[in-house]
Amino acid sequence: MSPDAAQGGPLNDRQVAGGPPAIVTEGLTRRFGDVTAVEDLSLTVHRGEFFALLGPNGAGKTTTIHMLTTLLRPTAGRALVLGHDVVSEPQAVRRLLGMVFQEPALDERLTATENLEIHAVLYGVPRGQVRTAVTHALEWASLADVGGRRVRGFSGGMKRRLELARALMHAPRILFLDEPTLGLDPRGRRHLWERIDALRREGMTVLMTTHNLPEAEACDRVGIIDAGRLVEIGPPAELVARHAPAEDGDLEDVFIALTGKQLRDEAATARDKMVSFARRGGEHTR
Amino acid sequence: MTTVPSSPGVRAAAPRSWAGFAPAVVWVMWRREMLRYWRDRSQMFGGLSRTVLWLVILGFGLGAALREIEGYSYAQYILPGVIVLNVLFAALQCAIALVWDREVGILREVVVSPAPIFSVSLGKLLGGATISVAQGTIPLLFTPLIGVRLSVVSVLGAWVVMFFLGLFMTALGVIIATRLKTFEGFGSISNGVIQPLYFLSGSIFPLRGVIGGVGFLEIPEHLREELRRLGIFAIGGGWVVQLPGWIQALVYVNPVSYQLDLLRYVLLRFQQLPMAADLAVTFGAAPVAAVVAAWAMRRMTSAAR
Repeated sequence: MSPDAAQGGPLNDRQVAGGPPAIVTEGLTRRFGDVTAVEDLSLTVHRGEFFALLGPNGAGKTTTIHMLTTLLRPTAGRALVLGHDVVSEPQAVRRLLGMVFQEPALDERLTATENLEIHAVLYGVPRGQVRTAVTHALEWASLADVGGRRVRGFSGGMKRRLELARALMHAPRILFLDEPTLGLDPRGRRHLWERIDALRREGMTVLMTTHNLPEAEACDRVGIIDAGRLVEIGPPAELVARHAPAEDGDLEDVFIALTGKQLRDEAATARDKMVSFARRGGEHTR
Repeated sequence: MTTVPSSPGVRAAAPRSWAGFAPAVVWVMWRREMLRYWRDRSQMFGGLSRTVLWLVILGFGLGAALREIEGYSYAQYILPGVIVLNVLFAALQCAIALVWDREVGILREVVVSPAPIFSVSLGKLLGGATISVAQGTIPLLFTPLIGVRLSVVSVLGAWVVMFFLGLFMTALGVIIATRLKTFEGFGSISNGVIQPLYFLSGSIFPLRGVIGGVGFLEIPEHLREELRRLGIFAIGGGWVVQLPGWIQALVYVNPVSYQLDLLRYVLLRFQQLPMAADLAVTFGAAPVAAVVAAWAMRRMTSAAR
C-alpha cells in the first residue's frame, strides 16, 4: 500500500474546514490469540464523508468497527474519533457516535416505542424530550403506526429502519453501519437506502461495512480490506480506473485484481449458528 | 421515492450519574425486565404448574405417608421450598437471558452507549429480584388449601426474603451467564444449578434431630415431650431416621438452606438453623453476589475482551 493511499487521496469537497477529521487510525491492529483480525490499519475519514469498508466476511471489517466504537480494545496502534482517543476517552466517543450492528440489537419482546425509550434514557435524553424524540424517530423510520407493536413481529427491513432511527436519536456526529442491508429483501433494502441517502444529504459522516458492490460504489470513498489488511483506498471510480480499466470493470474486478479472490463467504462461526437458530425462532426465553 | 423527514435527534450529554450510579438507567433496565416478564405468560404458567405439582400433588401425596414434621403437615413443610423453587427458576431465567442479549439482543446497544454498565447491571439484578418475588408469591395463593394462615407481617417478611434470595440467585446466574459462550449450556444450568441447590436446602426433607418416617405407630405425646427436651424431635412415625452425614454437610454449605430456613420461619415460625446464620447469609450473600455480578458484567462488556 502506498503512503498516498493511506492518506486517502484527494480531500472530499464537502469536508468541513477546521476541527479534527471524523476518524483517524494509525497502525490499528487487533489480534485474537494467534489470529490477526486487523493489521496495521491506517486511514482517515473526513467529516461529511460517506465511507465504505469493502471486503469478504472475516476480513476484519466488523473488528475495525468494534475498535472504533470502543467495543474492542486495539492490540496496537490508535484510533481517534472526532479527535477523541477510543481507548483513553471512550465515553466522549460513545456520545458522538451512532451504531447499527450487523445483527439486530433490539429487545424483541418490547414494542418499537419501548426500545426507543430505552435508547433515549441510555443516552441521557432529557426526560421532557423523550416522547418527542421517540415520536420523531418512529416517523422518520415510517413506523409511526406500529410503534406500539412488539418488534418480534417486524420484518427485517422494519427492524433495520427502527435501529437506524434509534441510532440517530441522540444526534450523533458519526454513524457506523455494519452491513446495514445484509439479509434484507430488495424492497427493504431500497427503503433503508433512501434513509441513508437522506442522511448523506444532511451531511452526516457515515462509515459502513459491506460486501454489497452497488452500495460500496455509491460511497464517496471505499477502503478495500482483505485478511485484516487495507489493500486499497479511494473513490470507487478512481479505483476502477486504476485497477480494472476494462470497459465493464467494477469494484468486484478491482477486488479480484488486488487480492486474487472473489468476495467470498466464509464458513459459519458458532455465533452465526446461534443467530440462525434465533432466526428460526428457537429458544424460549426470547 | 418517498420523502424522508430530517433525521431525528436530540442533543444529549449522557445519563446523569454519580460514580456509575445513574438512577434513570437503573429504572429503565428494571422496567425492561418487568415488561418482559409481564408479557411472558409461559413463565407465570410455569410457576403455577410447579406449585401445583410440588405443593399440591407431592405435598398431599407424600404427606399422606409422612404424617407430620415437628407438628407441620408435609405440604406445610414444603411450602417455603416451593416458593424457593419458583424463585430459583425466575432468577436464573432472567439472568441467563443475558447470553441472548449479548449475542443477538439489546446488550450490544447498551454497551456502545455512554450509560454506566454498573447501573445497567443493577437494573438487571433488581429486575430479577422483583420477578422472583412475583413468581414466589404464586405458592402463597395456595396457602388456604394447605391450612397455613398468613398475616400481613408474614407476607411482607416473605417478600423481603424472596427479594434477597432472588437478588442472590440472579447475581449468581449473571456470573454464570457471563462465562457461557452459547446458549447450549442452558439445559445443564437448570439441572446442574437449580436442582442441587433446591434438593440440598432442606426444602423437601427436614434437617435436624430425628426424622420420623413412614410409620404406623403413634408416639405418645408425653414421650414426644421428653424427646423434645433432649433436643430430639420426634415425628409421626415409629422409628428414627438420621440424615446421612454427607447430605447434612452439603446442606450446611448450601447458602439456599439458610435463606429457605428464614423464609420458613417467617411463614410458619419453624426454624431448623440458627437465626443469626439465616440473617447473615440472607442479607449478606445477596449484596456480595450482586457486586461480583456487576464486576463480571463489566468484565464481559469491557473493551479488553
